[in-house]
Amino acid sequence: MTNPHLTTRLLGVDTGGTFTDLVLLDGSEVRTYKLPSTPDDPSRAVLEGVRHLLGDDQGLVFHGSTVATNALLEGKGAKVTLVTTAGFGDLLQIGRQHRAQLYALQPAGRTSLVPAERVVEVEERVLADGTVELGLSEAEIGRVVTAVKATNCESVALCLLHSYANPQHEAQLAQALLAAGCRVSASHRVLPEYREFERASTTAVNAAVSPVMSRYLERLQVGFGERQLRIMQSNGGSIMAGTAGSEAVRTILSGPAGGMVGAFAAARTAGCERIITFDMGGTSTDVGLCDGGIPLTSETVIAGWPVKVPMIDIHTVGAGGGSIVRLDAGGALRVGPESAGADPGPVCYGRGEGVTVTDANLYLRRLRPELFLGGRMPLAVERCQQAVEGLAAAAGLPPQRLAEGIIEVAEETMAGALRVVSVARGYDPWDFTLLPFGGAGGLHACALAEMLAMERILIPAHPGLLSAVGLVLADVIRDYSRSVLQPGNVAPAELAELFQPLEQQAVADMGTEGISGAALQLESSLDMRYRGQSFEITVPLIGDFCRTFHEFYQNLYGYRDEERELEIVTLRLRAVGRGPRPDLQYGLCRAEDFAPLVVEPLVVAGQECPCPVYQRSALPCGASFFGPALIVEETATHLVNPGWQVRVDDQANLVLEREGA
Amino acid sequence: MNSLKVDPIRLEVLKNRFASLTEEMGAVLMRTSFSPNIKERRDFSCALFDRDGEMLAQAAHIPVHLGSMPLSVAAALQRGDLAPGDMVLLNDPYRGGTHLPDITLVTPVFFSDEEQPAFFLANRAHHADVGGMSAGSLPLSNEIFQEGLRIPPVKIVRAGQLDGDLLAMLLANVRTPVEREGDLNAQIAANRVGERRLREVVDRYGLAETERYGYALLEYAERLMREVLVSIPDGCYAFEDQLDDDGNGSLPIPIRCELTVAGDAVTADFSASAPQVRGCVNAVRAITLSAVFYVFRLLSPPGMPGSAGAMRPIAVRTRPGTVVDCTFPAAVAGGNVETSQRIVDVLLGALAQALPERIPAASCGTMNNLTIGGCDSRSGQLFAYYETIAGGSGGGPDGAGASGLQTHMTNTLNTPVEALEHAYPLRVRRYSLRTGSGGAGRYSGGDGVVKELQLQGEASITLISDRRRQGPYGLNGGQPGRPGRNALLRDGQCRELPGKCTVDGQPGDVLVIETPGGGGWGV
Repeated sequence: MTNPHLTTRLLGVDTGGTFTDLVLLDGSEVRTYKLPSTPDDPSRAVLEGVRHLLGDDQGLVFHGSTVATNALLEGKGAKVTLVTTAGFGDLLQIGRQHRAQLYALQPAGRTSLVPAERVVEVEERVLADGTVELGLSEAEIGRVVTAVKATNCESVALCLLHSYANPQHEAQLAQALLAAGCRVSASHRVLPEYREFERASTTAVNAAVSPVMSRYLERLQVGFGERQLRIMQSNGGSIMAGTAGSEAVRTILSGPAGGMVGAFAAARTAGCERIITFDMGGTSTDVGLCDGGIPLTSETVIAGWPVKVPMIDIHTVGAGGGSIVRLDAGGALRVGPESAGADPGPVCYGRGEGVTVTDANLYLRRLRPELFLGGRMPLAVERCQQAVEGLAAAAGLPPQRLAEGIIEVAEETMAGALRVVSVARGYDPWDFTLLPFGGAGGLHACALAEMLAMERILIPAHPGLLSAVGLVLADVIRDYSRSVLQPGNVAPAELAELFQPLEQQAVADMGTEGISGAALQLESSLDMRYRGQSFEITVPLIGDFCRTFHEFYQNLYGYRDEERELEIVTLRLRAVGRGPRPDLQYGLCRAEDFAPLVVEPLVVAGQECPCPVYQRSALPCGASFFGPALIVEETATHLVNPGWQVRVDDQANLVLEREGA
Repeated sequence: MNSLKVDPIRLEVLKNRFASLTEEMGAVLMRTSFSPNIKERRDFSCALFDRDGEMLAQAAHIPVHLGSMPLSVAAALQRGDLAPGDMVLLNDPYRGGTHLPDITLVTPVFFSDEEQPAFFLANRAHHADVGGMSAGSLPLSNEIFQEGLRIPPVKIVRAGQLDGDLLAMLLANVRTPVEREGDLNAQIAANRVGERRLREVVDRYGLAETERYGYALLEYAERLMREVLVSIPDGCYAFEDQLDDDGNGSLPIPIRCELTVAGDAVTADFSASAPQVRGCVNAVRAITLSAVFYVFRLLSPPGMPGSAGAMRPIAVRTRPGTVVDCTFPAAVAGGNVETSQRIVDVLLGALAQALPERIPAASCGTMNNLTIGGCDSRSGQLFAYYETIAGGSGGGPDGAGASGLQTHMTNTLNTPVEALEHAYPLRVRRYSLRTGSGGAGRYSGGDGVVKELQLQGEASITLISDRRRQGPYGLNGGQPGRPGRNALLRDGQCRELPGKCTVDGQPGDVLVIETPGGGGWGV
């Protein structure tokens, strides 16, 4: 296999809940396409989009998929059987024994990823130092395989106590189960780190989503023929489709990760590294905060399940353009969390029955039916008007006031999400630039910035397709880890030896990915702590890492204790093959002059006023004007409130600043 | 305090700022501490107080600290000699504490040239050992002097300088001094981070404005709580339940609550509870306050700030010298962990008469406290292992109770088996649900847990557990949950253990703890 990035045609495909977005980078040329998603089988829209942009041509396809996430969130993962050490079969049920809500009259228990009847206990025991206390007999292996087969599962999650310290028993069982035709996720492969519940949870999630992901990827590969397919992982790097199928747990935040990579790359072109991203899609909204870099976390919990592989730190709320509006029993206006999604979609897409945020925007003429998706997608304007007016009559409100109210309520939910990643973590939004993307992000950006007292907004080129752009720009990344629990003064030779299996695995895996030699970068780091603590700091393995630890610790917590023994808990290795750095030419407009398409009355910030409507592609670099204004482009629409100034920078970004700021 | 108009957005921003600075303190404490109780189990709290000692925000990780933290600040303030750069340490239950392992650190925060602090930051953490007659400092004691080192409010840090002599004195009296020193450093670091964040807020909004919104936050919480109380039908409701015993062979110990609801205020009167006992299950009044405020938080809508304002419309009556308001020198080690749970049970039982369609049946009702101490032959060092074990929650109108869940006054995590076996000379043989232990009913109670631990060397085991005689009550015709059980397996023989006991363990002994299921609800 060749280095994926030497191919000239690079195609990014991002499946969202409502639309599937595609971006083709062919040399310096950029071509885009957007079409409705097909949630019953997302591969249909993907294949149609790829055919549209590539025809019969070759190309390398980068894909951000929601298949793994949706399987988990909708409880449609594979039937998993858990195999674990005898005495610990309720491991996933008990978890860490704490409740999620501290103050609930009736606290919710843990939902079941693996029901009790699909748990098989194994008579074996490995100790904390890796020694075997009770061996695993051939007879026991045979008994376990038979018991597993009897559960009729689609997938096996294998997690034995202390397998991070000694994987021998797990490996033996995995081999026997594979030979018996089972699909196996073994914890020493998925996450060889200590703490049995978190490791078992991550492994079980992988077992639940991998079969679903594999089936999906096989369908795609059939349609793609010879073309190579790469999948975005939650850590912001891509891997080959085959790997993604067996390690689907690493793709849980595939699509949103593409968005963050794309957003941060776009922000850098504008010389800006402190951003709050705001990706408003049809079904949900993802927000994240970058303070100089893309933030990673390995403390993600999805649908109540810890998933401890490194992921980009993103917060999601269930409100988007497709969120359905209803009047509740108390007469209050509720927006979401139910979504019309892509099917049936908002009322104005022709089939939906429930009024959505998108319908409210159309009713207020903030969406331009004649320009929606470049005019390729007709909108049912009259149908939308009737639905909004019907709901307004039921609410006893003027229709225009109802439409504005829908947007106010939706914006309050989104502002809440922005607060979670900023104010609630001690960041002042005032210090950050808001970077809206997704088709509808720009419609709400000014209102949100005002609610959070933010003074700067950056709207990148192709905001409706930014996630797809990010997919293409991403590096090839594979993360490896291994808990070793060694003293901090371990001999360098011994440390190198401990790293060796990780490095061998990385070189082999990356070779399969087409990355080798000088193109392959290995970044080693250590999770360290003072001996006796439970939380670690990740320190790069460069020079005197103990000294680095003391410095990092001092910076984080304000003191250090050089007398105290150090402990190396986990080895980390990140293998990186740099992604393409295409010189993106977004067709900068060099016109001398610019003028609105039309000026017409529009309700903006509660006031009706004459509002110019601009075509973004006709705005030259250096153009500058004041709100109110509506800016339309093929994949997105932006509303500029009064009090904001727009400037087009030399990278074709729209920079919005609050007057007097 | 002036009554300028409160901007609802700024109120929200500062509410979140205050809450996030206490959360950040908690994160520092958790990430830098050494006691499993703090780092793994999160048995700690962090809070911000105004100049009058009123609590503005609390990062509550476990509810048992909810109402008791303000008394620590009051005790520090009472010294009358606080100066910039000071930090006050205390654990004395009779001067602002709860039980001795809970050590509280209070930092006064001064601004400009003011002579009095404008704010206080405090964190409280459960240390693994503070000396006394048994490892882990949760002994079956008869007076407080047996429970460990008693620390009145003393300045551990003066004008920014740690008092080395005082620290040496503390460390000389505990079993695991290196760990203690690390935990105290973690507590100091947490308050320093809180102070830094608080100064950023004051720099941004000004001292007067920050204090004004602190005051507004108290009023806001009070309004929210009054709305909650109005929704409870007026009347008097009484309920009684009991603790099994005091660990000294006593009879059951009744705890009684008479609840009076009148409009937007309530009085919870515990005066008719049993006199204080010789054993260690006495609770100081601070614990009773925590339990009462916890129950009313349960009835509150989401978003209720953890501020003292919420407590204003709630009066708590206790009689000094009772098991819910004990006096010096009563033994208190188990009051915080066991009696607090029963106070919640009786108050909920009283509320169930006012709100029969809302209140669930009783949950496990004990924290199943297990302490094991001895010498780890692998390192030659003393160790003290402490853990609380989950049980079943009660069934209720929303459905069956949850199994294997920490309930009410605690929410501590378990120590992972792999972390436990790495750190202590112990092996876990079983950690599973106790099937069938939840009480039957239209909505059954959740199941308790079975935990079996094997000793690798000689060690002393102390158990403080309850609900071993009588299971958690059912409601509306539901059956009670199954009581818990403790046993020791040695040389193939099984010996039943009482709910509260100390046992000298031998290598190979297996300790079996079965925790109670929750009560059932409805028929």
